[in-house]
Amino acid sequence: MKSVLVVLFLLTGLFANEALLPTELTAWKSLSFVSGAKSANELSNASLVLNNASLVGLHPTPKIQYVTRPTNEGGTVSYGGLFQITLKEKGLYRVVLANASWIDLIKDGKPAQSVAHAQGSENSGIRKMVDYNLDEGTYTLQLSAGADTKSALLVTKLK
Amino acid sequence: MIKYILTIMIYLLVAQPALQAQPALQAQSAQDSIENKAQIELGRRLFYDADLSINGTMSCATCHEQRRSFADGNQAHPGALDDPGKRNVPGLANIGQFKNLTWAHNHLSGLAEQSLMPIRGTNPVEMGMNGHEDEIRKRLGQNGCYQKLFLLAFPKEKGSIHFGTVSRALESFQKTFISNQSLYDQMMEKGTSLPTKNAQRGKKLFFGAAQCNTCHTAPLFSDDDFHQVQPREQKTTDYGLSDVTGNPKDKNVFRTPSLRNAALTSPYWHDGSAKTLIEAIQKHDLKINQTLSHQEITELVAFIDTLSDMTFVNNPKYAKPSKKCPY
Ligand code: HEC
Ligand code: HEC
Repeated sequence: MKSVLVVLFLLTGLFANEALLPTELTAWKSLSFVSGAKSANELSNASLVLNNASLVGLHPTPKIQYVTRPTNEGGTVSYGGLFQITLKEKGLYRVVLANASWIDLIKDGKPAQSVAHAQGSENSGIRKMVDYNLDEGTYTLQLSAGADTKSALLVTKLK
Repeated sequence: MIKYILTIMIYLLVAQPALQAQPALQAQSAQDSIENKAQIELGRRLFYDADLSINGTMSCATCHEQRRSFADGNQAHPGALDDPGKRNVPGLANIGQFKNLTWAHNHLSGLAEQSLMPIRGTNPVEMGMNGHEDEIRKRLGQNGCYQKLFLLAFPKEKGSIHFGTVSRALESFQKTFISNQSLYDQMMEKGTSLPTKNAQRGKKLFFGAAQCNTCHTAPLFSDDDFHQVQPREQKTTDYGLSDVTGNPKDKNVFRTPSLRNAALTSPYWHDGSAKTLIEAIQKHDLKINQTLSHQEITELVAFIDTLSDMTFVNNPKYAKPSKKCPY
């Protein structure tokens, strides 16, 4: 019950102006809760679904064992988490985030290079958008150096 | 004979303190170098540690990325609490050789004092640690490796962790940022020629007719001095040096940035308003810069490209240290 309230609260706060969202980001409106994994072992319980926005729970950085050391791993007082997502086809993908955590997308131990960065428009609830050219397969998505215990997260396909 | 013995005795008397002093001096400098080495190691850890910011989200390296010669590719970088950034992040190649630090300041005592600006500065708030010195002591103090490193680096202060020791370690690390292996440097050293005709012509222009070298003076490619080159029509709230000195003569005056590795540090200008080197060159309110032909600008850019030093941006000594404690 409490978490539903939190979700509702966040929804009203974050998406007050959802009408401003461009169509490819409409999935941003409906959230389900996914608790981040603290290590690779827990990844199966932290799956994201393409085009479905999730409210994600993050953990204190000292409790996390990242698969690959993040470029910005965050201090002891920051938050992060691991997730996984399976992509059925190759293409241009966008990771959309409500907080400013550092994002790494990793396959076979190698982080993908981002191709574009943007900030969300004001009042969209979006803080950060990062685009990647990705292959099909299962990726580990790492969030690190975040300021809060929660964020909203969406992976969507652009092309 | 007596004279001879006297000479020897006098020699011994005079020489003795000197002879004794020498090993002591050596020991002193050996101790200094142990301390300095530990300070560099410590400074490197601190540079990459986001615990220097209020919410653990931001380290020096968040804004100063080695692969971009320690600039960051944004027009301005927001702070840890999302306050908007005020100026473009400058690169840090050869930063230990500058007397004047930041885009427009003329009385910072050095890199130690400068490092406290992002840590606890309020205009803009970057790492947000103003009034939180205790928090830094607490966070770093619970880490065994930091305890060892602070003790080795600052034995006289018994390894005490505070803004003073943190900032001096950051200074020692940043003083090692030497970039002098560009194609241009190889040309100067070995007499090899620059790779393309454009670069060769650009060099001639740079040191000759275009007079870039009068301000972007080799070998630093900055005269470490202040100039007014702002476009006249520009609207701004950042008046550069006069905001520090209060002197109206210093209005719109900024320190010449070094052009070493400039090809890696876009965007340009103190406000990040120039996206490319071409725009930056044309932006100077200088007759020469504004009358350069398209071809001449291409040549100057080709020359500036030869100032990029890949050994600097790939030097493992400046990279994020491994988690393992070095001591
Ligand atoms: C939020 C981004 C940000 C962070 C974090 C940051 N800096 Fe900077 N840094 C800047 C900007 C912007 C400037 C230019 C400031 C100005 O001109 O007023 C700058 C300037 C400098 C300079 C002067 C460079 C020159 O050309 O004179 C040094 C040295 C420096 N920073 C070191 C550090 C160190 C050490 C840290 C960590 C303690 C740090 N910075 C953290 C953005 C940042
Ligand atoms: C009178 C001194 C002066 C001369 C001459 C001069 N510059 Fe500059 N240059 C500056 C100053 C000062 C800035 C910084 C301006 C600012 O950011 O507000 C600058 C900025 C730049 C930048 C942007 C660097 C960065 O990191 O943002 C480039 C590139 C540049 N100059 C190239 C040139 C070239 C090429 C020439 C010769 C055609 C030249 N300059 C002549 C003083 C000078």
